Amino acid sequence: MDILELKHVQKRFGSLSVLEDVSFRVPEHTLFGFVGQNGAGKTTTMKMILGLLQMDGGAVTVNGEPVRYGQTAANRFVGYLPDVPEFYSFMTPDEYLRFCGEISGMPARAIAPRAGELLTLVGLAGEKRRIRGFSRGMKQRLGIAQALLNRPRLLICDEPTSALDPIGRKEILDILVNAKEQTTVVFSTHILSDVERICDEIAFLHHGKIVLQGTLEEVKQHHHSAGFEVELEYPRDAQRLLAAFPDAKQLTRSHLLFTQDEQAEAVMRLLLDSHIPIRRMEKREPTLESLFMEVAGQ
Amino acid sequence: MKTFYAFFKKEQLEMLRTGRLLVLIILFALFGIMNPAIAKLTPWMLQSLSGSMAESGIIITNIAVNALTSWTQFYKNLPIALLIFVLMTSAIFTAEYQKGTLVLVLTKGLKRTKILAAKALTLLVVWTGLYYLCYFITLGYTAFYWDNGIAQHVGLAAGLYLLFGIWVLSVMVLCSAPASANTGVLLGTGGAVLAVYLLGLLPNVAPYLPLYLTQSMSLLTGTLAPGAMARAAGVTVGLIAANTAAAVLLFQKRSL
Repeated sequence: MDILELKHVQKRFGSLSVLEDVSFRVPEHTLFGFVGQNGAGKTTTMKMILGLLQMDGGAVTVNGEPVRYGQTAANRFVGYLPDVPEFYSFMTPDEYLRFCGEISGMPARAIAPRAGELLTLVGLAGEKRRIRGFSRGMKQRLGIAQALLNRPRLLICDEPTSALDPIGRKEILDILVNAKEQTTVVFSTHILSDVERICDEIAFLHHGKIVLQGTLEEVKQHHHSAGFEVELEYPRDAQRLLAAFPDAKQLTRSHLLFTQDEQAEAVMRLLLDSHIPIRRMEKREPTLESLFMEVAGQ
Repeated sequence: MKTFYAFFKKEQLEMLRTGRLLVLIILFALFGIMNPAIAKLTPWMLQSLSGSMAESGIIITNIAVNALTSWTQFYKNLPIALLIFVLMTSAIFTAEYQKGTLVLVLTKGLKRTKILAAKALTLLVVWTGLYYLCYFITLGYTAFYWDNGIAQHVGLAAGLYLLFGIWVLSVMVLCSAPASANTGVLLGTGGAVLAVYLLGLLPNVAPYLPLYLTQSMSLLTGTLAPGAMARAAGVTVGLIAANTAAAVLLFQKRSL
């Protein structure tokens, strides 16, 4: 079953069309990466899923319920972590989580244990200071705690790792992977290594449209291969290959890159016929980075 | 109801922990003490000035100070107290828009109407509490030093001015729904009061306007009968309801 579905969502700010036609589905218990450049409209899309922004067209359903602007009933299935989470700075983290539990209508008995459990999970247990004095990383971790509080069916994180150092990033990614057991995670990012590390499915947003979508494997297959590489035993053989295939690129003295897959057979034949020893011959895997560049037209 | 109460409680905690409530309590208590104190000190002050005033030809003979002098001070100071209250609470919505703190609250499924109701009720409760704090201090001292009996309809006059304050707050809430910063709220509220003041210059319209309720001294001295206030009071209650309803509609449509 799909926990989240967007159908032909459109949004414009004045004359600027931010989202032209965005459609995708997120099945349950997946870690879904929502990738796009800065300013591509990722935050805008997320805010419309949450009913915080009005759509100019299309429809969004969360757990089968339509999302309506200003009415936040569908949000009871959702936990949300904004890119820069802001809390009531006059509260302590424990007070804030209890407040969140109360306004989301959790049973009173369940709130205190759940809050304690989550504060331990994000490493803020025993923090008696008020939120006023928190660092960016601490706020981000408290943000995850509040998002997971009412055991949401869908966890939406807006660039959760963008502003963090490598250790902080790893901590957040680990928490997201753990969260996948209990919920579905949609997170936006422009950091491709994060996506490759943890995502099951991805969607690329570019110029207001989803230009690429599917599981990590599908997305990579979908695109024509990036060619193949040949590493020679002896650098002196490189010239013979280059003479036969002038459009090949020499990466190092003994390392050649062929961009056209069709040439593989001819290259192998030449290697055999001319008795050229090689160390390895390998098909190049498209990286998300190269896909992203290709999609972004650069 | 529980979710509403949780947000209402948060508003009280914010008032308390930001120190705003304490400052307001001290100010309103001070106003309450000042009103009778100034009345009590007036003869003494004039006495000490009488020497120099006699030189310029003004002779002070018999200065009569009574309960009405104290109440005059009360109603002179009330606009300032109301202004301070508005200045200190005008960001009750806009501060949250600017910081983005409401986003998380809304994504937890709390209804917008409950947020607005909790904030409006907080304003109402705190204003009424502070108002009566000031009122009862003045009332107590005035009764202690003079005879309150010469003033008529003391409680009613105070209640009507309170109602005027509530109308101002309802305008503030209405302006807060679409505004993005509290300067907008202050301009809107100030503009509404000014508009009512200008309309009040028309003698036919004046008795229907909220500002008519602030003629408290005329009630106390008996120049105006309580019945004369009925139309203005009715209109004011209607306006408060209309402002609140309009605020709810605008707040629902606001993007956050």
